[in-house]
Amino acid sequence: MLSGERRLSVTDLLRRPARTFFTVLTLAIAVASISFFAIPPLIDDAMQQEVRDGRLADVTVTMRPLELTEADLAALAALPNVAAVEARSSVDARVLIGERRAPARLIGVRDLADQGVDVVRVESGALPGPGELMADVQDANTGVYDGEAGDTVTLLGAGGESADLPLTGRGRSLPGGEQVQDESVIVLYADAVTVAGLSGEPGYGELALRLDDTDPDAARATVEEVRSTLATVDGFEGFSNLPSIRAPGDWPGKSDTEQFAQLLGVITVLALISAAVLVSNTLSTLVAEQTREIGIMRAVGARRRQVALVYVRTTLLLGAIGAVAGTLLGILMSSALAGYFGTTFWAIDVGFGVAPWVLLASLLIGLAAPPLAALPAIRRALHVDLREALEATGSATGGDDAVDRALRRTAFLPRVAQIGLRNVGRRKRRSAATAAIVALAVGNLLAVLALAESAADASRTSWGSHLEDVQISTAGAPFDERARETILATPGVAEAQPVLKNAVELGGREAYLWGVEPDPLFRYRLAEGRWFDAAEDASAARVAVLERNLAETAGIDVGDEVTLTTAAGEADFEIIGLATNQQENGTALYVPLGTARDLLHRPSAASTYWIGTDSGEDEAADRVTALVEDRLAARGYEVTSEIRYVAERDEIAANSTLTTTIAVLGFLIVAMSMVGLANAITTNVLERTREIGILRSIGARARDIRRIFTTEGVVLALLGWLVGIPLGYLLTRLLLRLVWEVVEVRLPVVFPPGNVVLALVGTTVLALLVLFLPVHRAVRFRPGEALRYG
Amino acid sequence: MTEATTSQEPAATTRPPLIELAGVEKTFKTGKLEYRALRGVDLSIAPGEMVAVVGPSGSGKSTVLNMITGIDRPTAGTVAFDGARLDEMSEEQLAVWRGAHVGIVFQFFQLLPTLSALENAALPLDFLRRGSTKERFEHARHNLEVVGLGDKADHLPAELSGGEQQRVAIARSLAADPGLIVGDEPTGNLDSVTADEMFRLLLRLNEEGKTILFVTHDRDLAARAPRVVEIRDGRVVRD
Repeated sequence: MLSGERRLSVTDLLRRPARTFFTVLTLAIAVASISFFAIPPLIDDAMQQEVRDGRLADVTVTMRPLELTEADLAALAALPNVAAVEARSSVDARVLIGERRAPARLIGVRDLADQGVDVVRVESGALPGPGELMADVQDANTGVYDGEAGDTVTLLGAGGESADLPLTGRGRSLPGGEQVQDESVIVLYADAVTVAGLSGEPGYGELALRLDDTDPDAARATVEEVRSTLATVDGFEGFSNLPSIRAPGDWPGKSDTEQFAQLLGVITVLALISAAVLVSNTLSTLVAEQTREIGIMRAVGARRRQVALVYVRTTLLLGAIGAVAGTLLGILMSSALAGYFGTTFWAIDVGFGVAPWVLLASLLIGLAAPPLAALPAIRRALHVDLREALEATGSATGGDDAVDRALRRTAFLPRVAQIGLRNVGRRKRRSAATAAIVALAVGNLLAVLALAESAADASRTSWGSHLEDVQISTAGAPFDERARETILATPGVAEAQPVLKNAVELGGREAYLWGVEPDPLFRYRLAEGRWFDAAEDASAARVAVLERNLAETAGIDVGDEVTLTTAAGEADFEIIGLATNQQENGTALYVPLGTARDLLHRPSAASTYWIGTDSGEDEAADRVTALVEDRLAARGYEVTSEIRYVAERDEIAANSTLTTTIAVLGFLIVAMSMVGLANAITTNVLERTREIGILRSIGARARDIRRIFTTEGVVLALLGWLVGIPLGYLLTRLLLRLVWEVVEVRLPVVFPPGNVVLALVGTTVLALLVLFLPVHRAVRFRPGEALRYG
Repeated sequence: MTEATTSQEPAATTRPPLIELAGVEKTFKTGKLEYRALRGVDLSIAPGEMVAVVGPSGSGKSTVLNMITGIDRPTAGTVAFDGARLDEMSEEQLAVWRGAHVGIVFQFFQLLPTLSALENAALPLDFLRRGSTKERFEHARHNLEVVGLGDKADHLPAELSGGEQQRVAIARSLAADPGLIVGDEPTGNLDSVTADEMFRLLLRLNEEGKTILFVTHDRDLAARAPRVVEIRDGRVVRD
């Protein structure tokens, strides 16, 4: 049996079920949004399991294909700190899919039945035997190739010959899946002998190692041991790229996930702020409405503390319902989102999971927020004069301050619209809070839309720097003079420029060295300093132009001397210029082609050719690409191609996936603000029920009442929209700054007016939709019921 | 003058009634509880009458008023105004009908706090969409002058005394020039001097041809009305 005092706390919630529902809904959405913080740990748990199951390599080194004997491999496996070693080969080819030729990479496994590192596991079907292939599960998942067991794969390999190989099923490995995801290339697995047959090059181009001690220093020492051991093998020319050392606990895409989670966190915080304002507003109304009852309790002897406890209990009860509902919703949401990301990016099943600290935080915040939000209102109500409290009606009278006077200067509007407009001024605090919630939502929406636009703009600018129509690259033997002659002799090719790219380290940061000609098929944009000249190219001068992003994060200025760590060792460079271009995510540094060749000991070599076509049209690019691929392949080169217009389109599409996710969250906040608007108008309808009765009594029709409350709601929404515009601009700058600080990518500030108009239309339409129920409620009252209400 | 009828003692009328309640019953339901507010009320009021409805709290007098104004609907029986059956009208038809034919004065004045006295007094015309805005204001200003508030037309309700607010409410009730003015405890919230003034105003309106019907607790005030109807336990017990 509840005491009267405790029972009051319950009845406070029951007598306005609609408001209780909306408040709980708002709380639940806000609490659920905390669950976004659970997504990275859920994915991390699943990925750590995947790393264990697939025995992901701790160190990977690449080299020109090298024939390794069982004894060589045994010697490598016996090195200190090496737990397991796996030799892999690969060849880039093309797969015929109907009439289309799609880029593909065949990964050759030494012994599919006995793998120690980067294990290729069967997902469906069976492991491939000699002359057979298995597709990576991500091929179908990302849509690049959906072949199944029993299908025949037609391969166009180096040398120009085609081969038909049967597909035995689908398999998975983290490195293979990553290549599909990052390069949109079809990854196929076969035994090393089959791959060697297709490439014409026996031997292994990659060594993957599992280490006992994964500390970076220990890993580097092991790399040197491996280099020394390989040096004793005939044909070893050194590593062809910087060894890849995986940090303990790292997995492919982890840093991207963490960066994305940080952006998600900002949105979540904005959602929580919106919810806090909303809940505070609702609870202030709840308490203010009951000022009279507070007066009655005080009149019959209740102490302030006792009265306060009634409302603290009410709000705790609200919080408990909201916290439980929100936490459950959050668990479902975070599991669903983590599952979506896991399936999309790594083809893993994240499964249903709960992050304990997020669960605890959700429950605590959900429980504590409502009483805290209601405290100022409770305090105010407790200090109202007892007589005033007893006479309180719950409905505010009209004021006569500047706002009220301004709202009265609207004689040109129909009377019902005037009444609605003036009602905005009756509960100024509530109106201001409601408009603030809408403003936050509109601001947030404008910011995420601007971020999406900005990312697309950056992509366009980045691709706008490329003057070539097609890039042809090689993953096998570097291009030489013969390759250049072949490309230039291809019909439709107007010009071709060699480029030599290589991964390097600058001040401990990953960077990409681009060796290009002094007058490149690339639009460089200098922020400071100068570009290199033909003399520096000819003399292989150690000069470099650094992208500004990299320069700022590494603290480098024009004129500085820097040391680059390359696959061929360390080299000192003078920085002669800073460019605003953002290639390789802003981590490119440009050196003369002659310098790059000299540095990597590859005279006349190129890893890529930038090709300009005669007409520059998309069809010409398609045609030239096919011809160049065929001709180079016929001469034994392993080639991959990138057609500028296709790659640009794909990148914008990929960006839009991420920005769409952020936009969805933005819309969640808008939805929450609309719950706030509906809540405020519902409260106003309840408060003014008697007034509705009076209006109906003096001849107001349903549409008159509807217009009064619709005007009030739409005016609040429009006010929020108006305030949301400058707020959106500020949030845009904040988000762009965050992107810079978190991802180290500088995005341009864009704030398209079209989005402001879109937000106006969206806010108005959403407001009209959410106002339907409370306004319908206002109209539904019969005059007699309305007059007796309260 | 028309004679009223009661359930016990039906009387013949010499003029067609403006208002006619026949066997009106009203039951309110609150959860599982039912409360019979009216238990068969027959009442006939002729045009131009001034009738006071009296009775103790909870007797059903306000419910009778609500039946006559179409604010509530009878559970049984019929309610007619000038031959038109109110109990058969939709809520929208009733709203339009009220705006055109009935002026209601409430105990707590019930003015819209954000509208000036003039705007409040013109509001029923706005709902009726009758005349231009200018004509509505001219008519409302005239009515404010009739009730002696011509100089306070631009004041907000909060800037007026209780008596003044009730005058605005009366001016509002006159907006559409209705044949019937209904007051639910119209003087209940006023001091005796102001209440007296208000009653005189209603008398004057009655003399000008308006039918006046008001509910009051005040026996002295009721005694000044030409006709008094007493309600007790949901029935007319004296007329």
